[in-house]
Amino acid sequence: MIIMNRCLLLLFIVLNSALTWAHPVIYQGGWALSSSNMPEFSNNYVMYSYSRRLAAGLEHWRFSKDRANNELGLIKLNQLLWRHNGPDSQANLYLHSGVGVEDREFGAEKRTVLSGLAGADIDWETRTLFAAAKYYQFQNSFVAQGRIGFSPRKASFKELQTWLMLQGMVIGDVQDRLTLTPLVRFFYHNVLWELGSSTRGEWLLNLMVHY
Amino acid sequence: MKFLFVFIILSFSLSILAAEISIKVSGMVCSMCAQGIQKKFAPETSIRELRVDMDEKLVRIRTYEGKDLSDGTIKKLIQEAGYHVASIERK
Repeated sequence: MIIMNRCLLLLFIVLNSALTWAHPVIYQGGWALSSSNMPEFSNNYVMYSYSRRLAAGLEHWRFSKDRANNELGLIKLNQLLWRHNGPDSQANLYLHSGVGVEDREFGAEKRTVLSGLAGADIDWETRTLFAAAKYYQFQNSFVAQGRIGFSPRKASFKELQTWLMLQGMVIGDVQDRLTLTPLVRFFYHNVLWELGSSTRGEWLLNLMVHY
Repeated sequence: MKFLFVFIILSFSLSILAAEISIKVSGMVCSMCAQGIQKKFAPETSIRELRVDMDEKLVRIRTYEGKDLSDGTIKKLIQEAGYHVASIERK
């Protein structure tokens, strides 16, 4: 039964791959594995938190437009710049940086170039409310995303937690218009998953595991 | 009979020596992120039971008989998990 559960989890990780929104730096010594997908882009990473303020790891991005793919592989560093731990809330400001290579597709031609990423994200949450914004600048593009959400019920530590969220996203050079995506977020123990569909009918599937 | 009496007295005394610690934690709003608290305390051999109460924002720890956990260790582990200790109470 345990093996079957692990196989199912692995299958889910492989099959899944929009941008999962959770803390880019977790507890000291923790690993975060994340896979995020929408039709026009995907983002996958594995990060290790060396301390509560610093995480490093590997990240992959894919952007698709007009049947051409741009893919980036990066060594990434996430830094918790500021955190407010209030009695009933938490707020965070993170910085992101990464260097790596990018495969750019121009019709039949493909070029590999050095690339990089710089970004920041900020979030605020209580047990029932959530608001966040993030911005990533790439060499030739950018991703800007905002989210608001609420949880209809305060779940206990070991219960399934459900959130209803609205995500707005713009990907420069790929989606020059705002994509609005209502989504449902669940998390249970150390696993988070999100399902959604944009107002234009594009699906969203995200998965994250902390261990 | 004497042995039984000594055993009961000894067990009772040791159970009194077990510590019950209530830690008020600031910033603990997300149960998935709070999993880190469990992970950070897991290697501590003095802990018999750890419970996270999201409603009260409390981490409740029961130690084994005769064992304790210092305030310094508790604060360090909670900080490494990404949170802030507001208060520590012992029974």
